[in-house]
Amino acid sequence: MASVVAGLARPAPAHVPFAEIRILHVMDRPLLSRGELAWLGQGHLQRKVLQPQPGLVDIAGDQVTLLRQGRAPRHFSLHRAPELQLMLQSFSALLEGDAVRLQQSFQATLQSRSKGSWTLDLVPRDENLRRQMPHIAMDGDGRQIRCMRIEQPHGDRSIELFGTLADKLGASPQLDALLRLCQSAD
Amino acid sequence: MLAAWLLTLLLGAWLLLGRLHTSGDLRGFMPPAVTPAQHIVMDQLGDGPGSRLLMLAISGVPEHRAAALSKGLARRLEADPACAKVMNGTPDLMATAGNLLPYRYLLLPAEQGVDRLAGPALRRQLEDRVDELDSPASSLIEPWLARDPTLAVAALAERWAPSRSPSSVDGVWMSSRHEALLVVQTRAGGFDPAAQLALITGIRHAFAGLPGAAEAHLDISGPGYFSVVASQQTRHQADWMGLCSGIGFALLLLLAYRRWSPLLLAVLPMASGALAGLWVLSIWFESVHGITLAFGITLLGVAQEYPLRLLSHRRPGESGWLTVRRIWPLLLTAILSAAIAYTALYASRVQGLMQLAVFTVTALLVAGACTRWLLPALLPPVSLDAASTPGLATLRRWLDRLPRPRWLAGLIAGASLLVLALAPGPFWQNDLSALTPIAPALLQKDAWLRHELGVADVRYLLVIPGPDEQEVLRRSEAMEAPLQALQAKGGLTGLTLPSYYLPSEASQLRRQQALPDAPTLSASLRVAVRDLPFKPGLFQPFLEDVARARTLPLLDAQRMEGSPPGQPLAALLLHSHGQWLGLATVAGVDDPQAVRQQLQNLPGRPYLLDLKATTESLVSSYRHRMLLALALAGVLLTVTVLVSLRSWRRARQILWPMSLATLLVLAVERGAGLPLSLFHLIALVLAAGLGLHYALFFEQDSEDPAERLRILHATVVCVISALLVFGLLALSSIPVLRAIGLTVGLGVAFHFTLSALLAPRRKGLESES
Repeated sequence: MASVVAGLARPAPAHVPFAEIRILHVMDRPLLSRGELAWLGQGHLQRKVLQPQPGLVDIAGDQVTLLRQGRAPRHFSLHRAPELQLMLQSFSALLEGDAVRLQQSFQATLQSRSKGSWTLDLVPRDENLRRQMPHIAMDGDGRQIRCMRIEQPHGDRSIELFGTLADKLGASPQLDALLRLCQSAD
Repeated sequence: MLAAWLLTLLLGAWLLLGRLHTSGDLRGFMPPAVTPAQHIVMDQLGDGPGSRLLMLAISGVPEHRAAALSKGLARRLEADPACAKVMNGTPDLMATAGNLLPYRYLLLPAEQGVDRLAGPALRRQLEDRVDELDSPASSLIEPWLARDPTLAVAALAERWAPSRSPSSVDGVWMSSRHEALLVVQTRAGGFDPAAQLALITGIRHAFAGLPGAAEAHLDISGPGYFSVVASQQTRHQADWMGLCSGIGFALLLLLAYRRWSPLLLAVLPMASGALAGLWVLSIWFESVHGITLAFGITLLGVAQEYPLRLLSHRRPGESGWLTVRRIWPLLLTAILSAAIAYTALYASRVQGLMQLAVFTVTALLVAGACTRWLLPALLPPVSLDAASTPGLATLRRWLDRLPRPRWLAGLIAGASLLVLALAPGPFWQNDLSALTPIAPALLQKDAWLRHELGVADVRYLLVIPGPDEQEVLRRSEAMEAPLQALQAKGGLTGLTLPSYYLPSEASQLRRQQALPDAPTLSASLRVAVRDLPFKPGLFQPFLEDVARARTLPLLDAQRMEGSPPGQPLAALLLHSHGQWLGLATVAGVDDPQAVRQQLQNLPGRPYLLDLKATTESLVSSYRHRMLLALALAGVLLTVTVLVSLRSWRRARQILWPMSLATLLVLAVERGAGLPLSLFHLIALVLAAGLGLHYALFFEQDSEDPAERLRILHATVVCVISALLVFGLLALSSIPVLRAIGLTVGLGVAFHFTLSALLAPRRKGLESES
């Protein structure tokens, strides 16, 4: 598994397009968005959203900043959501290819499939984070991450497609079709 | 007889242990407060919000381990009843609001509360929520969405949080030096060392019991910790010095009397005196101050005179009763004059000094009485004549042959006055922090931890006087805007006003009336939700909350008691000395003038209280009173001497060397650049009391050469034992003890020397050698 994780390392800055579907139990329809993720190193992540509304989410250290045209920037301190902070720290471990650091915070299991496709299942070790995010799955193919699937309580979930897969989201995606897409290799 | 005496002493001591309570409240040695500002300072120093905080830092292990230890320690301390509150990280929103959640629209200023419930504002809020839910911040928002879509609870937490929080790792505070930080609020006030010690011991014990704590290191800091360290240091040094001076004293007596019995005989009156003094203290006062007891060692240097005089003055074959009757008149003068000098301390109205006066006067009177009426019965019938001590005669001859120029006294007086006038440095020590025995490294660490944690300053406080609670709160609200503007410009880093926790009833009512009624809010909500992907009926709890808030009874300090902000509010809204006071804590005041400028035109004239400056003014204005008391002591001493000697010429003979010696001590200390404090003045009184004894006995020089040798013997033994006790004190690292030791040590030496040099030469002496 260490080799798979090491293969995911990207030198900063790395930009990758994404498309996301988010299903929340407080919403009556799924939220779709499209944009670009920027990994700027040292735990600094930026999520530029192009559709449906342009905006930027900047995550650095312990602050989340939301920028939207015509609005004042909004700041959230991650002090109040330490689980989130932990998760972000772990993702930077992933993007640095550091399997050891990843395993400090998550119980990681790798499923390998034919043609080099794999799924990395992550279960948080910290019980508070586990309550918030019981399961995170990353699907990949060789050195590429294809998808990230997060499960949250109350039936909330999100699936994020990266790279070339981002174009294949469509207007009304079906969850099982997306899963098949993530776990195949091409 | 001896057995009976010893038994009484032991019994008395054992019974006393049960009833003697010691206190370490350092305010016992501070002058009594007079002005309202001084009252506030004294109250705050002991019980104020700043005094009840202990700061803990866990270091020496990697950050994640430190964080785990921090969580473990916090869990254990929460169970400790002596801890009112433990914080190791920013509390979650629910914990911050507690049962006050329904009141959030009344507690928040309108812009953050009710104003956001109107049409377009509500729409913007909901749009923002959609944004946030579609971002990594969604888990922060989701739990509150249905009940509080405008996130009023988050605004409330911001209002009540310290302006500067350390960064978090694993959910707990971590300093910039990779130490896990915790803050403990104690139930006991900062100036109660016994309670603080119990708590600190509990904290260390809890920490040691954590898994993996062996490699880590726990630092504690805060006023409570310092008072524990100070009292432990004082105690440790007092014990150590008591031991050393006890051993030294025993050796001295062995050397002087070449027998074992004087040791026991000398100790008995002193022990009786000390015990009697402690008994009177325990009856008269509720608790005895620790420093008073430490001062009590000095008693050893004073009361040992009486039995020693008795022992040294015995003529061979003479019964003890005869001896004591012979020396009694002078001894009585000595005892009474010392007692009178100490009584002057009682007039100072400083708690610690009053206790000292009571203790010492009682002890001296009892020791003297024991010497007069009990000790002679125990003296062995034949004893070595003190006059035959080897080397004594040589010493006497040498002393008699010392030149005694007439101009000596004038020279000393002139030189001393010159030094006093020209000495460098301030004359008086006004800064109480110079009296602290705490090492500078600890003080620096404390300042740094305060900065990291955003804890309020101990030096400055904003005071808002008012006729009643509501007026104080209204005035506090008027201060919010100007001070927040100053904060934005950087003039302050932290500000907590009482109105932050509890707005005035007028404001609460205004906001309550601005809350939309149910039909209006439903309509606004329907419009705001259009096209947004929220589930229908999601915001029902929100509608219910607002409807309930419209009918809630307004909050007052009493209603807030059990809630999370109740305790901080209680510390900031006080009713003391017949006045209502609001206090506001501030942090990071660089320029007090800038703050005062902001307060200038505000109603009710709130002001910035500088605790340091106020205590200094307290000390200096008090000094006049102290000097008056000392002058009174001087007058009483003079009168006593006059009355007992019945001759102005003889009295002058005694008082002249004493005054000169006192002047010389002052000159030496000032010449060395030492600013004088209250304790130096007390020590001067002590030294004068001792000096009087030497002068009295030197003056009364007799014709009989053997008797003169005995007088010298007694005086030399007394001087050496006094120097022993006070010399040891002068070596202490505790400023108070050092001041006393140095002053009395110098005083004893000078009084002795000058009494010897200025005593009139005996007429028969020229023909003798």
